[in-house]
Amino acid sequence: MTRFAWIRFIYYCIVTYPPGPRRPVTADRPTLYARGVSRPSSSDRSPDRSPTLGLLLGLLITLSAVLAYSAYITWQVTGLRKLQTGLVDRDRKDSLQLLRIQNDLNLLAVAMRDMVSSDEPYPLTAWSAQFQRIRTDLDDAMRLESGFAAASRTPEQSAFLAGNFNQFWDAVDRVFALARGGKDKEAREQIQLSLQERQAALSTAVARLLVQNSENEEQAGQRIVQIYDRVQKDVYIFLAATLLAILLNGLSGIRWNRRLFARLAEVSERRSELAQKLIATQESTLRYISRELHDELGQILTAVGSMLRRAGTHAPEGSSLRADLKEVLEIVQTTLETVRSLSQALHPVMLDEAGLESTLDWYIPTIERQTGITISYEKQGAAFPVDSAAGVHVYRVLQEALNNVARHSGAKAAWVRLRFLSDALELEVEDRGVGFSERPGKHGIGLVAMRERAELMGGQISFSSPPDGGTRVHLAVPREKVESYGKEDHSVAGG
Amino acid sequence: MNRRSFLGGVAGLAAWSHMPHLHALLAQTGPAPSVGFRFTDVTTGAGIQFQHNSGAFGGKFLPETLGSGCAFLDYDRDGWQDILLINGSDWPGHKKVRSTLRLYRNNRDGTFADVTARAGLDVEMYGMGVAVGDYNNDGFPDILITCVGQNRLFRNTGKGTFVDVTNASGLGKREGFSTSALWFDYDRDGLLDLFICNYVKWSPEHDVFCSLDGKHKSYCTPEAYRGATCWLFRNRGDGTFEDATAASGIFDSSSKSLGVALIDEDRTGWPDLLVANDTQPNKLYRNQHNGTFKDVAVEAGLAFSSEGKARAGMGVDVADFNNSGTPGIAITNFDNEMIGLYRLSGRSFEDIAPQSGVGIASRNSLGFGCAFLDVNLDGWLDFAVANGHIDETVRNIRGNVGYAQPPQLFLNGGKGFFRDVAAEVGADFGQPKVGRGLAYGDFDRDGDLDLLLTTNNGSAHLYRNDQQAGNHSIRFRLVGTKSNRDGIGATLRVFIGGLTQSRLVKGGSSYLSQSELPVTFGLEKRDRIERLVIDWPSGRTEEYKNLAAGRCYECTEGKGIVPQDGY
Repeated sequence: MTRFAWIRFIYYCIVTYPPGPRRPVTADRPTLYARGVSRPSSSDRSPDRSPTLGLLLGLLITLSAVLAYSAYITWQVTGLRKLQTGLVDRDRKDSLQLLRIQNDLNLLAVAMRDMVSSDEPYPLTAWSAQFQRIRTDLDDAMRLESGFAAASRTPEQSAFLAGNFNQFWDAVDRVFALARGGKDKEAREQIQLSLQERQAALSTAVARLLVQNSENEEQAGQRIVQIYDRVQKDVYIFLAATLLAILLNGLSGIRWNRRLFARLAEVSERRSELAQKLIATQESTLRYISRELHDELGQILTAVGSMLRRAGTHAPEGSSLRADLKEVLEIVQTTLETVRSLSQALHPVMLDEAGLESTLDWYIPTIERQTGITISYEKQGAAFPVDSAAGVHVYRVLQEALNNVARHSGAKAAWVRLRFLSDALELEVEDRGVGFSERPGKHGIGLVAMRERAELMGGQISFSSPPDGGTRVHLAVPREKVESYGKEDHSVAGG
Repeated sequence: MNRRSFLGGVAGLAAWSHMPHLHALLAQTGPAPSVGFRFTDVTTGAGIQFQHNSGAFGGKFLPETLGSGCAFLDYDRDGWQDILLINGSDWPGHKKVRSTLRLYRNNRDGTFADVTARAGLDVEMYGMGVAVGDYNNDGFPDILITCVGQNRLFRNTGKGTFVDVTNASGLGKREGFSTSALWFDYDRDGLLDLFICNYVKWSPEHDVFCSLDGKHKSYCTPEAYRGATCWLFRNRGDGTFEDATAASGIFDSSSKSLGVALIDEDRTGWPDLLVANDTQPNKLYRNQHNGTFKDVAVEAGLAFSSEGKARAGMGVDVADFNNSGTPGIAITNFDNEMIGLYRLSGRSFEDIAPQSGVGIASRNSLGFGCAFLDVNLDGWLDFAVANGHIDETVRNIRGNVGYAQPPQLFLNGGKGFFRDVAAEVGADFGQPKVGRGLAYGDFDRDGDLDLLLTTNNGSAHLYRNDQQAGNHSIRFRLVGTKSNRDGIGATLRVFIGGLTQSRLVKGGSSYLSQSELPVTFGLEKRDRIERLVIDWPSGRTEEYKNLAAGRCYECTEGKGIVPQDGY
């Protein structure tokens, strides 16, 4: 395992298994909620209380109301149809047939008038075809009419009408029999004495039936109007009830939505605080180990080195003991350098002492040597002081980004740009590797940590793919945050 | 929105979705294609100077609004169609001018000569309509003039003159208000019989006072008068006629008839009659093959409109306009009633006017004369209508209906849809007129059909058809031997490229008028027909094959076919 890999191992162990007991975030600081969102009660926040049941219940009530009303309307329409087809339409059809009968009776009256007037040069038998045509039509009309009028007509009325028609046609037959016998004068007298009177009586009877139908239609019309009025009233009531149900359901949905959003905000806040705590713990741990390595182990190794150097001076010149001591001394020196390097890697003391800019000047050639990746480092703008606490975050972001380049991108070169802008500090790490989306495996905790660090500083981080391929990590932190970060109360700095 | 307006809206939507003819009409709003022909008013140039005299003097007599008719006939049998224009006269007691009918002989150069006096027709009468037929089978067409009063029968002497044989023929002493008439052989004895329509029982002495404002007299509607039976006269073959009205079952004192057309409704070869009645049910007299007729108009769906109303039938024509081999029917009606356009559907007729484009286009016009003719020679019968109101003040009552109205010319698209192209066929044709009579004939023998249109109390118009699309035609003139000499009642069927056209040789039709007897088939660009089949009234069937277009053929029953020199 290389030194770099070992450092990474410790880093992930700390992030994944943070030391110390977990404490509820809400115990340390109040939970934040979106504007206008009331803090849910403890019972509301119970995961057992799902809004689905309530919403489904509302939907069920609305649908049931619609179904019930549809059934009611269908029932009303069916009744209306029955009334119309059973009474109104039948009366109307009956009236049409009665009008047809009356028209035929009028035609008969006109024909009889012509027969009596004797102004045609034809015998009365000439009218027989005309009478036959009218009789055919009358018979057809009577047949249809009797079907339509079955319900409203009394048997006496039907019998009266049928009997009168039979008598009329009997009289007609007698008239034409006289005419065929050459007795036109007698036939004309029969028409005047009997036939025209019978026709008038029939016409009156049909007119009475028409009046009766008209009265029936009027009554049915009134009933239909009543039904319409009732249905209209019910429609308004139903519409009001439906609107109320929809309103209640909608309000309930809105209430549940607000609660869900509040829960979401709370969870997000907790996650963010947890991540910040982890980062703070990580940083404090790394600083501690770094100091221990540098101060304790480094002092010991320095002392061991001094003692070995002294012991070497006591050994005879050219002796094997002196050679062995010298060799041990070199090992101790190498170990001391490794320890110092490791200490620096875990938490560069340089950040606290020389600042971010110098630390990067040291770190980039170091990582270049360790990974074999050619890194083009570029600084822009007039440097301004970077608080060491903020510097740690920027340094960690750079460290993670370059680590990703080395581990995942497959690129042999990378570009690091540090920009001191008038209002912000920007760090950009770019490679021409396989790109962010093509890297195998899921995006690990490293990316999460980078985001959290950016958020801690009040900055923004983005991951994008340049047009030429590869990955670009861009961090931007407002200048005032960078400059005064350590002066604020941060758990990271204080950890 | 109240209930009524809501239901109205729903009904409107439903009606809209169920109006394919309206959609079809809206689809027609694109630029119209060229119609392929033009009508030129050549009346004056042809030497026709005719002025109808209705006799109107302020008395508002009913007949004044209805006249008069016209005819194409070849009275001198020279092969060129002559023109007969019927005229009214001043009423007794109000004589101012002398007016008679006019007979114009075709000069064979596009002009006509007035030969009325020379022909012996310079006779005053209140003429209404005309029926032309060779009732004595001497080869020369005779003329019946229907009148208010006594009808007149003029026998053609064959020498360019006519003799009034009204009384000698037995048609005298029968006064009435006769309108349209036709010659046909209802008993198939080879002799033309005569059918005459009568309108109402009217005479100047029994005129009824009608008024719109209660003060001034106006023209009465037919409801004010009793109906009058049509007459059927059987030709005895000796120059006299027998009144068969009562014996044949034609008698009907309720009828108010204005138009009559020959039809073989049941396709038995026995001629039937279709009579258009004004405000009374139309009549379809089916020939019972025994000298009698039976009215089957109600069963056939022709008596009433689809709403069950007796319309104001005026003119009528019958033809196979959809090339189905079955007769189609057109009946012109009053304004706001639409033309009735019927086709055979099963055993009865169906009014297809609304969906054919004819119905809506004729809603605001009052149609009189009408005729099916293949005006563009494309093989599909088109439909011409003469329009004009009877009330001079109609514009005051119905703003969108005028007294003078443009004629209509419906081109048959061949798919059940007609398009009115009257405004596209020449500036003169589409001018509003008080149209009445309408007849067609090829007066210039160029193979297409020209139109003759009369107006009430106005001039007549002769429209020359000038083909522009180069369509061809073929014409046939029939000469009966066993059948009546004119071949009236014969059916001709022409077979070309899978399409079969059929024509009935007929008199009558239209309104008070008669078109030429030769029949014309439009062939589009075809230069010959594959087959011609003639079913003669005698029962004989003749067939001819491979006839060249571009000429007229004289077909003599039992003697073959003789091509003429040109049309």
